[in-house]
Amino acid sequence: MENDLKIILFLCNWSPHAAFQSLQDTLAALPREIRMVRIPCSGRITKSLLFKAFETGADGVALVGCEPGTCRYGIGTSVAERNVEDTQGILELLGVGQERLGFAAFYPDQPAELLDFLISFRNRVAELGKTPVVSTSIEEQDGVSAGSSASIMAAHNIFTCQDCGKCSSACPVALSGKPFSPRAIANAVASGELSSPAVTEDIWSCLTCGLCYDRCPSAVSFPEFVRDMRNAGKKSTNGRFEAHEGFFQSLMRTMTSPGLPVRHWDWLPEDAQTDAGSKILFFGGCSPYFDTFFRNHLGVRTTEILADSIRLLNFFDINPAIMPNERCCGHDLLWSGDRDNFLKLARLNVEFISDMGIEEVVTACPECYRAFSRDYPEHGIETGFKVTHIFELAEREISKGAVGFKKSARKITFQDPCRLSRTTEGCELPRNLLNRLNVRAFTEMQDRGLSSQCCGNCAWTGCDSFSKAMQVKRLRQAKETGSDLLVTACPKCQIHLKCAMEDPLLGDEIRMEIMDLTSMVAKNIQWE
Amino acid sequence: MDRNSSAKSKLEILITGFGGQGIVLAGQVLGMAASLIDHKESTLTQSYGPEARGGACSAQVIIADSTIHFPYVRNPDILVCMSQAGYDKYARQLNQDSIVLYDQDMVRTPDISADCFPIPATRIAEELGRKMMANIVILGFVTAVTGAASVEAMIKSVCDSVPSGTEDANTAAFNKGYEFGMAVLKARRKKAAAAKGGES
Repeated sequence: MENDLKIILFLCNWSPHAAFQSLQDTLAALPREIRMVRIPCSGRITKSLLFKAFETGADGVALVGCEPGTCRYGIGTSVAERNVEDTQGILELLGVGQERLGFAAFYPDQPAELLDFLISFRNRVAELGKTPVVSTSIEEQDGVSAGSSASIMAAHNIFTCQDCGKCSSACPVALSGKPFSPRAIANAVASGELSSPAVTEDIWSCLTCGLCYDRCPSAVSFPEFVRDMRNAGKKSTNGRFEAHEGFFQSLMRTMTSPGLPVRHWDWLPEDAQTDAGSKILFFGGCSPYFDTFFRNHLGVRTTEILADSIRLLNFFDINPAIMPNERCCGHDLLWSGDRDNFLKLARLNVEFISDMGIEEVVTACPECYRAFSRDYPEHGIETGFKVTHIFELAEREISKGAVGFKKSARKITFQDPCRLSRTTEGCELPRNLLNRLNVRAFTEMQDRGLSSQCCGNCAWTGCDSFSKAMQVKRLRQAKETGSDLLVTACPKCQIHLKCAMEDPLLGDEIRMEIMDLTSMVAKNIQWE
Repeated sequence: MDRNSSAKSKLEILITGFGGQGIVLAGQVLGMAASLIDHKESTLTQSYGPEARGGACSAQVIIADSTIHFPYVRNPDILVCMSQAGYDKYARQLNQDSIVLYDQDMVRTPDISADCFPIPATRIAEELGRKMMANIVILGFVTAVTGAASVEAMIKSVCDSVPSGTEDANTAAFNKGYEFGMAVLKARRKKAAAAKGGES
């Protein structure tokens, strides 16, 4: 049994490798479960690389570097420590256990200490046993085949494209200066040039925001066409277009392991009341992972949205159930070309929720909402429960009357989430609530509602300097309204726009406080 | 705060407003719900005459568990006002425990000791598409706040009394007023709890 353990040792080329070589020279009894990978610097092993080892079946990972201060590159050790800390947080949320990931630093003349560490790490992992992660293999393939592209074109009416160019004139990617055009992709696919860059590269630049669909006189659903093209051609990209080196795709695939003892809600503050017997489930989404992943970078606090959602439900005397082993809804896997694992996640979620006897699922995340209410049924997964966005529920309860909002001196503007606002109803939902808020001013941005601009990225795919340009443009629009608070309705919008604010050259010009609409409502609502 | 007035053996209700707002119909719906469906005793006395076209108008409803010997309202336990004139005329007849329910856009109440429940009934009716349903909205509100008749009886009574073909719209109006009333009671409970929590 013990011999089945797989432990990866990422070993820095410099000090610790010298110590390791001494061990080899003296034929020391190295634990045989450990497989050593020699690396240039411990700081170069990203969270994604650490995590992918677990995704692909490692039971333990040790990252070994130089003592702080002896790093050849200066900051390697401190970067490694941060990456390990963040990844440990993710492993803890997943229920894999942070003890499976270890970090240690050694001088070249410490072979004995290194050996002690390796043996004790092996013993620690052996105590924990095999990982609950079932690794998912990815088969390589040669891009989109002619047959699959033909059926995708037929499914989305690509031949009705009139080549009018309204899509490219509205497309935020094209307007950011990138040589990109939705209709050029359509033309290339229609003329069978499946290996041209217009297909192999550009389908990964699309935001799938749906603005082109809004403008298209032939109603070609371009986002869904791109989604299906990605699913057909995914396995030939080798993860090249994934943002954050594919960390989130890796995370989502890991969550398809049915036996994973996920601890999604351990962080929830006590004042947010839940009731395990409720027929209403609050489905949170991946915010806890985002906050863990970005905590040393952006100081993102998207879990506040989830806590405030539950507080808002409590205000209306609803104590919802929560799913301790909640998985990702799978939205980002579907939209970044991994339908198989999306389906696995969808089935797992629906199975867990049905087992709890849930009648209504409430969520505050536009992507979860879209996945549950549209993508699941469209992919043949019957949910059997009602799916409600928290704005719908809040509007329903508030319109009963006797509810008001505290006076606030803030001037606000609103960033629409694409997955909610590309339908008229979806635009109105948040606006009804925004207009109820008792703030000093609510001013719309230049691009708003159905025409609003995406926060610059979707499904953790295709992030580049053009994405940043889009985000800066969007933040400038927000600033132009004269508002001092940017209200969003999707955790990703917050993350992406905050990322753009990190720009050292633009600095205060685009910096702006951000708050989710759910938090805004929950913090200011009161009985009249 | 439980306002379930069924504990009280006799309830005097005065509904006032302009002629044409459906004041008498509201009184009739309420009385019929209490007597024909909830099987209590009830009387209805209407006052209109020269006031009928736009003047002050009132309907006096008494609901009791036993036989009613005198059909006029002397000191209303519940005063429902849909016009300022109606309020001004009857406010002095209120007693210590009376409650006042009124359309907040039509009536301004000076500082009185009675318990006041405002509702934007006419506005809600307008939002639902028909201003003339304000009386049904306020009936829903009265039902929620006072419990003078049961909800099922009221809905049935409303459907029996309104022109055929408008039952669904009127039921929606009633429910809207009822939900508003429940929300107001809930808000009061919450605020009382919060005030209590704040003191301790």
